[in-house]
Amino acid sequence: MTTPLKMSARNLDFYYGDFKALHAVNLDVRTNEVTALIGPSGCGKSTFLRCLNRMNDLIDIARVEGELLLDGQDIYKGGMDVVELRRRVGMVFQKPNPFPKTIFENVAYGLRVNGSSDNAFIAGQVEKSLKQAALWNEVKDRLHTNALGLSGGQQQRLCIARALAVEPEILLMDEPASALDPIATQKIEELIHELKEDLTIIIVTHSMQQAARVSDMTAFFYMGKLIEMDQTETIFTRPANKQTEDYITGRFG
Amino acid sequence: MDQRFQKEMEQLKVKVLQMAAYTDRALERALAAIANRDAELARQVIDSDRDINAMECEVDNLSLRLLALDQPVAMDLRFIVSSMRMVVDLERIGDEAVNIAEQAVLLAQLPAMSNLPDLNSLGSQVTDMYRLGVRSFRDQDPELARQVCAADSVADDLNMKVLKECMDAGAGEGGLNGLDRAIRTVIVARSMERIGDLSTNIAEACIFVVKGVSVKHHCQPF
Repeated sequence: MTTPLKMSARNLDFYYGDFKALHAVNLDVRTNEVTALIGPSGCGKSTFLRCLNRMNDLIDIARVEGELLLDGQDIYKGGMDVVELRRRVGMVFQKPNPFPKTIFENVAYGLRVNGSSDNAFIAGQVEKSLKQAALWNEVKDRLHTNALGLSGGQQQRLCIARALAVEPEILLMDEPASALDPIATQKIEELIHELKEDLTIIIVTHSMQQAARVSDMTAFFYMGKLIEMDQTETIFTRPANKQTEDYITGRFG
Repeated sequence: MDQRFQKEMEQLKVKVLQMAAYTDRALERALAAIANRDAELARQVIDSDRDINAMECEVDNLSLRLLALDQPVAMDLRFIVSSMRMVVDLERIGDEAVNIAEQAVLLAQLPAMSNLPDLNSLGSQVTDMYRLGVRSFRDQDPELARQVCAADSVADDLNMKVLKECMDAGAGEGGLNGLDRAIRTVIVARSMERIGDLSTNIAEACIFVVKGVSVKHHCQPF
């Protein structure tokens, strides 16, 4: 059964100054699905991911052409509140980046920035988010200790909890497990499976096995172009495109 | 890409083809033992079966190693899975060659009878199918594979023809020896027909590797 469209790129071009990093990307992301973006370094997958919540706006020379629709509304057209966009489209980065604050304050941060001052509500959201991020049991007795004392895997789940606290509709994950050991990686992957019940997830990964394990759809990027996108099972058993086949079987890249 | 992986994939293909060559020799000798009433040659086929079995284990071990250590995908994955399936078929063809050889030993002890059907046509048909199937796998040629699949009905028809002729001959002259001979001829024909079926499986494995679609039991068109 196909779920409704959540985000769509329509002829999306992206430039860093004169350099065209994305070429006419057309890609649909469906609600409550996990979409993996794969491809060799420099292929444009992270650039594409960062277009989805306008993280590239922070780069002066960056320029976008084409359309990027969130629930049918172009996020690059006038009227889009970028803060609200980033609340709806959360992001988790490659390296865990907790703030040098307590575990509680890390998760509460987004809520406070969004103007929430109801402490009971904030405490409820912190607990809910930590539970969603499968971290609650490990930290419930030390919520007011510094988050930098957590292990790398715990820090990454804390960052996921921080992203979840503002109840995003989409979670962007940029190689979220690449700095983690296999056990912590497995926890993140289990989390992805659970989170997709409530969220739409788009993940960039260099690990082909990870893409195969966690995603419903896989998109292969090469030299700024979307080469092929299909169900993950199809991509990893019988890709239609020779370049995809060569990449996933390790014949280049 | 990883040269070790590439080398081991080549090694896997070579091992499968070596096993196919051993099986080919067993099949050829079993059919010659029947045609020439050669019990000694038949015993050689029976003895050589252990080599074919050992090669199946070797391919299984190498395939498991590649799956566990390299987590292959796409065509590499299909090739390994197909190799594992193919050696099961080769091993069974080897077993059928042994079955034929066992009947050859017994048939050599019975008097020859002119009214029994000639098994050469069926033998040649399934040998051709087998060789074409292995070649399609070796050359990754789905067109050859398709020819093998299409030829299976010819083997089925030849088998039915042998069965009918044996029934007629068994009911006729020759007494108990004649009946015994007819029954054993039917058993041999049945083994040959199975070799045709198994050769079709090998051809289907080739199509799966190249095209990525399963044509077994008419699952998907190709």
